[in-house]
Amino acid sequence: MPPVTTPHDLLVLHGLRVVGFCGIERLAEATGLNHDDVESELIDLAVAGLVTRTPGPFGGWGPTEAGRISDAERVGAELDRTGARDLAVRTHEAFEELNPEALDLCGAWQLRPLDGVVTANDHTDPAYDARVLAAFADLERRRDGVCADLALALPRFGRYRVRLAGALERAHAGELDQVADATDSFHTVWSQLHEDLLATLGITR
Amino acid sequence: MSPKARWTRPLTADETGTPDLLGAKAHGLVGLIRLALPVPAAFVVTTEACRAFLDSGVFPVGLDAELDVALARLESVTGRTFGAPDAGPGPDRRLTVSVRSGASVSMPGMMDTVLGLGTGPDPGQEVRAAIRSVFASWHTPRARTYRTLHGIPHDLGTAVVVQTMVDGDRDEHSGAGVTFGRDPNSGAPGPYGEVLFGSRGDAVVSGGSRTRPLGDLAHREPGVWADLTRALTLVEKDLRDACYVEFTFESGRLWLLQARPGRFTGAAAVRVAVDLVDEGTSTRREALLRVAPAHLERVRTPRVVLAPGVEPLARGIGAVPGVVTGRAATTCAAAVRMAAQGPVVLVRPETSPMDMSGLAAAAGVVTERGGPASHAAVVARSLGRPAVVGVGAHTLTDGDVVTVDGTAGLVVAGRSEVTTRTAIPHLNRLLVWADEVSGEGPDLSEVERLRAAQRVLDRHRP
Repeated sequence: MPPVTTPHDLLVLHGLRVVGFCGIERLAEATGLNHDDVESELIDLAVAGLVTRTPGPFGGWGPTEAGRISDAERVGAELDRTGARDLAVRTHEAFEELNPEALDLCGAWQLRPLDGVVTANDHTDPAYDARVLAAFADLERRRDGVCADLALALPRFGRYRVRLAGALERAHAGELDQVADATDSFHTVWSQLHEDLLATLGITR
Repeated sequence: MSPKARWTRPLTADETGTPDLLGAKAHGLVGLIRLALPVPAAFVVTTEACRAFLDSGVFPVGLDAELDVALARLESVTGRTFGAPDAGPGPDRRLTVSVRSGASVSMPGMMDTVLGLGTGPDPGQEVRAAIRSVFASWHTPRARTYRTLHGIPHDLGTAVVVQTMVDGDRDEHSGAGVTFGRDPNSGAPGPYGEVLFGSRGDAVVSGGSRTRPLGDLAHREPGVWADLTRALTLVEKDLRDACYVEFTFESGRLWLLQARPGRFTGAAAVRVAVDLVDEGTSTRREALLRVAPAHLERVRTPRVVLAPGVEPLARGIGAVPGVVTGRAATTCAAAVRMAAQGPVVLVRPETSPMDMSGLAAAAGVVTERGGPASHAAVVARSLGRPAVVGVGAHTLTDGDVVTVDGTAGLVVAGRSEVTTRTAIPHLNRLLVWADEVSGEGPDLSEVERLRAAQRVLDRHRP
């Protein structure tokens, strides 16, 4: 089967479904589209009643109920067009095996035992941080192996490699919030991939 | 058991194997047996056997035969038989066993446990398969990563405890629970735990069930309660520390399944160290060495004060310390909307990226499922929001005013009284003892006063 490239409007709608609720910048980061393209797709989707914008300090864009239904139908149909449903099921199963380890590692980045007491990791021990980051890199290599075939069939899944590797590179370069804090951190992107696999397969938590 | 046994050991009072050989779990059970406390009959497959298996991929020569002997011994000491029909009420004739990992170092949740084995046509093969799977779980990528992070050697291997099952779900006089010998939040004396009537132990630990406060046991099963409180006192004196115990009771009879030190932190660690000296269980020297300086930095973390007789609305795992009062919001949309009018506590079954807007808007977080490494815990920690995870079923609805204590793992109705002084009198006494040892005084910080005493004591180790 040739790869199926997701159209921009579905990339934005599905991005919003997976990220949940956010502004244009975050959606651009998640989809790899530029700011103006995201904005123009959002406006069209809003006219169609599929997304809506909430004003206010915690405001942003989110899918409507109709948008969630439309997204589920379209990503399901797209998956069947690729003939990769079985592959996606296997990928999801393998990902679920890796998932607890990702959460363990985020925990180890935030907390560490000191004199037997679990304390906040204050990032003053470069050797410890390097050990955790090396474990993240090893996990990401295995995650990439698990998801590689699916990314060939459905290139939108390839975006996660760029985002996860990017977060780890920035963390290595000293941006400590790129592991578990920032909206484009490893933890955030990993959780979105998890949600994406569930949404793509139509699995509710 | 044959004296030639090399890979297995029955757990008996005269077992002298080290935790390195038996694993911490089996070693702890031997301690309980020495105290003449009721422990279901068990044997351990040693870490040596595990290492041999991990090297070769097969059981070492002789283990197979030893397992036959060890399983036959379980039948003879319990008077039960694998595959016997379940007789219903009255003494159980049917033997089933649990197979649990137990390394010499703590690796919580990393390795396999298999319960209720021995009902099939070949119990021996069932048990062997379970032992293999526990051995093999030593090398799962997750376990490897855990060891790498915590500096645990990869070649230690795990022991495996094979133990007679007791049925917490046998009848209305059966159940299971977990308890500390003292309150792990404040260090106050008296048992502190939870119990689930008519259920097995795994239902208590999984956190999905509605457990009852341990005190209910005193009314419903006074005999079990009396035996349990007596056991907690004995274990504490033996460990010379606050303890944690897992137990099951079957038809009104108590059994202990695990015991270990309580590993209290912060205010509770300080209070227990001082109280144990007052009770004559430990010395001032032990108290000063036991309290880590990191505990002192937590002594003043705000904590909820529960009024006498008040039960919390929900109880879970404290994932992010701190106390916050706010209105409950059970959806992220509600949290975002309500946050404009004041602090909100986001209450979700669990969280995912879909919940980021709610997490960001909330002042505190409560989840029904998940542990300290769950998505909700990781995000709440990074945002500095007090959080309680894994509270199970609850009755909270939008708009309820609740107080969340992210240290104790409590959700309490209304605006609770809060204290930062739980252990200050105990702390002050500990620091006076420290000054007597070091010759220092209150011109130093509290942590420096403790460190100074620990340096002197370290130099004069007996």
